[in-house]
Amino acid sequence: MDDKPAIEVPETLGEEIGGAGKAYFDDVVIDNILDALLELSAAVWTYHDRVNVLETVLAEKGIEVSDAIEAHVPSAEEIARREKERMALVDRVFGAFLRRPTPRGPAPLAQQPSTGDDT
Amino acid sequence: MNRGMIGVTPRPTTLADESYLEFITSFRRLAIQQMFPKVAEHGEIRLAQAMESGALEAEDGHVPLTEIQRIFGENPVTPTFQRFVRTQQEMMWRRTRESFLRDADTLMAWMEEAAAKAPERLHIEPGFTPPEYTRREIHCQPGGYTDDPLGGAVYHYGTKVFYEGFNDQDELHAELVERATPPADGKVARVLDIGCSIGQATTLLKDRFPDAEVWGLDVGEPMIRYAHARALDHGKEVHFKQALAEDTGFESDSFDLVLSYIVFHEVPVQKMREILAETYRVLRPGGSFTIYEFPSNDKGQVSASTRFLVDYDSRNNCEPYSPDFVAADFRGIIAEAGFEVADGPGLSNDFLQSIVATKPA
Repeated sequence: MDDKPAIEVPETLGEEIGGAGKAYFDDVVIDNILDALLELSAAVWTYHDRVNVLETVLAEKGIEVSDAIEAHVPSAEEIARREKERMALVDRVFGAFLRRPTPRGPAPLAQQPSTGDDT
Repeated sequence: MNRGMIGVTPRPTTLADESYLEFITSFRRLAIQQMFPKVAEHGEIRLAQAMESGALEAEDGHVPLTEIQRIFGENPVTPTFQRFVRTQQEMMWRRTRESFLRDADTLMAWMEEAAAKAPERLHIEPGFTPPEYTRREIHCQPGGYTDDPLGGAVYHYGTKVFYEGFNDQDELHAELVERATPPADGKVARVLDIGCSIGQATTLLKDRFPDAEVWGLDVGEPMIRYAHARALDHGKEVHFKQALAEDTGFESDSFDLVLSYIVFHEVPVQKMREILAETYRVLRPGGSFTIYEFPSNDKGQVSASTRFLVDYDSRNNCEPYSPDFVAADFRGIIAEAGFEVADGPGLSNDFLQSIVATKPA
């Protein structure tokens, strides 16, 4: 497998996801904050996950930590445990958006007045 | 680094990539399963209130899409949902491609090795150029299905995230194949999977019909090469061909069963007609065509919230042809091609319609 493949693989691709991207709010700062929040959360999870694996691997092996982490294959039980923890983090960070999905707060939609400025 | 597989799913090339993408999977689950129902609930209630008060009137029994957009957009959860879904999709593709690009040489060599080992089952015409309409970055995948040599690997992991972890072991494709309707006479000697992408259903069709000659067809060479190498790894003797579904190059009356999974909403309506005519041509009399597809709304079949979602998806997830598909009389167009059209067995994903089109014997 030393030979370079015959088909060239471009380093970068993707007109759709490149550039300034799309905005959904009148104030683009809100779009930016939400993007940052997502990336922050992904980073928090990624570091947390690495520690998870590190601890698991250390317990199992105790040596060659870096290589061992990359080579680790989770068991079905471990996958389930990590998924549960991950979902809990998602719920914690983004629960606010579910808690206050409307400008009037958590009151049931059906009980809200049908007229008036609710924007 | 090649970190191997979990079952039939390849792993990203670093643990950090895998963790990041698993986070996206969990987040996507929250956005789609928990947040969209809030968008839908609020919008449907507001729409009903506007209709009841007379502030909004249906035109020919339909609420105009612009009104649905306006009313749904009044709630800030709507742009929040839109922001989140777009961002997670961009994050997913960016990281998935970054991850597999690290291992590009190995991946390319793996596909080339497979091509050398079983060339009789990989059918790529030198000089074939995908027409412009197929070269869209569908679902925002970088390079789409045609222009990224790593597209098969990127698609495979990207769709694992898209399916929120519920198709890690091809469970969804197993259901598609299990519920595919064979011809009434039961004779299945030759099977075709059109728009097969990486051949997940194609190989499972071979499992279901082990004595049949099974073909997967797709316009994307990266998809076909990945599908072929993957099938070889799995020990499945199936053929993969790069061609247009509207111009397959197969002989007339040469297949007993054809399957398509969410293909038609990815092509213009005129191409849909051509694909149906071509499928009719290659099916033998009495042959059956199983179609799983986006919903149709030509007779106002779907809810306002589904219309809102499909419209959003079209404009924000690079589905350029889906609005015209959804508005078209899909079943009528299938019938115009000569097929007898009936409902097929339902799927767990009830968003999709299931149709069986039979070429009269």
